[in-house]
Amino acid sequence: MATADEIYAGMRNSIQEYDEAAAAAAAREAVAAGLNPVEAVEKGFAGAIRELGQAFDRMEIFLPQLVMAADAMKAGVRVLEEAIQASGGKLEKKGVVVLGTVEGDIHDIGKTVVGAMLQANGYEVHDLGVDVPSTRFIQAAEELNANIIALSALLSTTMLHQRDVLGLLRNKGLQDKYFVIVGGAPVTQQWADEIGADAYGLHAVEAVKVLDQRQAEWAR
Amino acid sequence: MNLKEVVKRAETGPLMEANDFLMKRVAAGVIKLQKEYGIRWDGKTLVNLDDEMADRCWEAGKQLFLQTGVYSMNSRRVIEFSAEEVEHGLRFAPARVAMGQGKEATVVHHRRVEDPRLPFVFGGPFNADVHESTFVKLNEAFAQERLIDALLFPGYLKELDGLTIRPGSGLSSRAAVLYGQWAREAVRRAGRPGLAICGHAVMALNEIACTSEEWGLRQSDPRAMVLISELQADDVTMSRTMYYQGYGCPIYMAFTPLVGGYGGGPDGTAIVAAASFIAAIMMGGEIVHIGPQHIKYKQQTNNHSLFLGSLANQAVARNSHIIVTTSHTTAGRPGSAQYPYEFSALALAVVPSGSNLTGPRPAEPLGYNDVSPLMARLFAEVGHAAAKLTRAQAASIVEALYEKYKDKLTFQQAPQGRPFQELYDLDTLTPTGEHQALYEEVKEELARLGVPFS
Repeated sequence: MATADEIYAGMRNSIQEYDEAAAAAAAREAVAAGLNPVEAVEKGFAGAIRELGQAFDRMEIFLPQLVMAADAMKAGVRVLEEAIQASGGKLEKKGVVVLGTVEGDIHDIGKTVVGAMLQANGYEVHDLGVDVPSTRFIQAAEELNANIIALSALLSTTMLHQRDVLGLLRNKGLQDKYFVIVGGAPVTQQWADEIGADAYGLHAVEAVKVLDQRQAEWAR
Repeated sequence: MNLKEVVKRAETGPLMEANDFLMKRVAAGVIKLQKEYGIRWDGKTLVNLDDEMADRCWEAGKQLFLQTGVYSMNSRRVIEFSAEEVEHGLRFAPARVAMGQGKEATVVHHRRVEDPRLPFVFGGPFNADVHESTFVKLNEAFAQERLIDALLFPGYLKELDGLTIRPGSGLSSRAAVLYGQWAREAVRRAGRPGLAICGHAVMALNEIACTSEEWGLRQSDPRAMVLISELQADDVTMSRTMYYQGYGCPIYMAFTPLVGGYGGGPDGTAIVAAASFIAAIMMGGEIVHIGPQHIKYKQQTNNHSLFLGSLANQAVARNSHIIVTTSHTTAGRPGSAQYPYEFSALALAVVPSGSNLTGPRPAEPLGYNDVSPLMARLFAEVGHAAAKLTRAQAASIVEALYEKYKDKLTFQQAPQGRPFQELYDLDTLTPTGEHQALYEEVKEELARLGVPFS
């Protein structure tokens, strides 16, 4: 029977190899060995994915590897989560994020990078895709009990829809319920302030940093 | 290939999720082909001098395109092409495209590597946000620059009559009409009534409302389409292409490969770029614009983009007769010396590599009127001078220029500069003394570095 350290090493390796099946298998091994699932997430997966996030920031790995690593982690965490639920517990998520590119804008890579980086850093991410109607962000956030709404826009013409989402939240009296972060090529801190967004992410790494730093505000 | 066959395949090709297309076809394909064809960046080179690698990059790009096709984002189907169709498409891609009218009628042509012929210059506001109050004057100031061969993207109108324009709205159709009227008025005022206007009003179908032989954009004006990264097209782009092709406009097809994205580093992304040149032709493009994007930087003059721009341009210039132009966006803003350092570096990298020129403009985020017609003049002058240089000669100047701005590549680090209305006297449409002095100082410095101005 493998030791705990060997199992954690296998879990780390599955992330470094971007291998979904291996991540799920390593997680099952951890459960079978009776390891604490919450500890297994941290010791097995989280460190490895954080390292990959840093490697991505240094451009030593690229978007496909980051997405594959995030998918592998998802597969492994799913197994551990089932074990936690079976024992009556609940895996603490860092935060639940509803993410998408705003209405009229079909650019998807920017928000995909942000989604992968957030997942890599322990957030539960629900990617709504591109050209997402303003009302859909709010509907999804309500349905998924999200903490954070992340709005991407690549065009100066479509970034106006970020303002619409904020306006709709205010109209519904939900502006204090969700932490709204905006980003995209034409978006600035000044724009974020002007429309009343809670935060601005210059790029994916920055978005993670901002959300981590301001956890007290979105975990309300 | 006939566009009607392309749009048919957008309805009948294999169904696939976008993520599967990008990960399984594009990303996996690049990883395999990059290894197979030995496409590697050494981490230092800014201007590629390796002809064999350029040829291998082209072959890898062609193989990639045959494996990927183009993803139709709305129908979620893949538009696939056979090897015979690609060869046929490349064979019949135009090597020359005429545009403009009367005395301003002109031709953009394919350029070879180290081609002594002058590059064609698409210059103008380049989709900067332009306020309605200065729209005509700004475009007139660009059109009066005689080295500009076609007025490029007269600017995004974000507001009209004090209201914010929502894309696709009735107000945006009115903005599109005014865009055509005002752009035509601007070139008339500059005394160049037939100057080609390369149009791209908003990314929406109602942009076609700016079309009019009498007052707007004409059949002789190229119209811009944008493929989405990587190798994707949406219904609006295909519809606009179909309309403009039917109307008889030259089709200016842009693509924006992302360094650090699905193609990986600058070397893998060069393979995606080679595939995208072919995709642009197969999707109806006649003039193909490469505008490399970067996962960390918003501008196109960083080391990765310089290398990618040179390698991808050489790949296509050596192996096809596709007409190529490269976009130039910078971190530095007009009114700063960094702005011309950056666009000069990229122009010197891509003109000897076989490209024509598009730009310049600061990268997003942009303020209103964040462009300078005088700097467009310098851009054209540098481009013309670059046609006298070999890649090796140009490379040493590019390296010297890159040293000047390499630590100021982000919006926050770069000098902020000033908008058009502060760089020009709006009554006389001439640069301020300070702006003129900056132009002269930088031009002298470029000449000292070895740029052979006439």
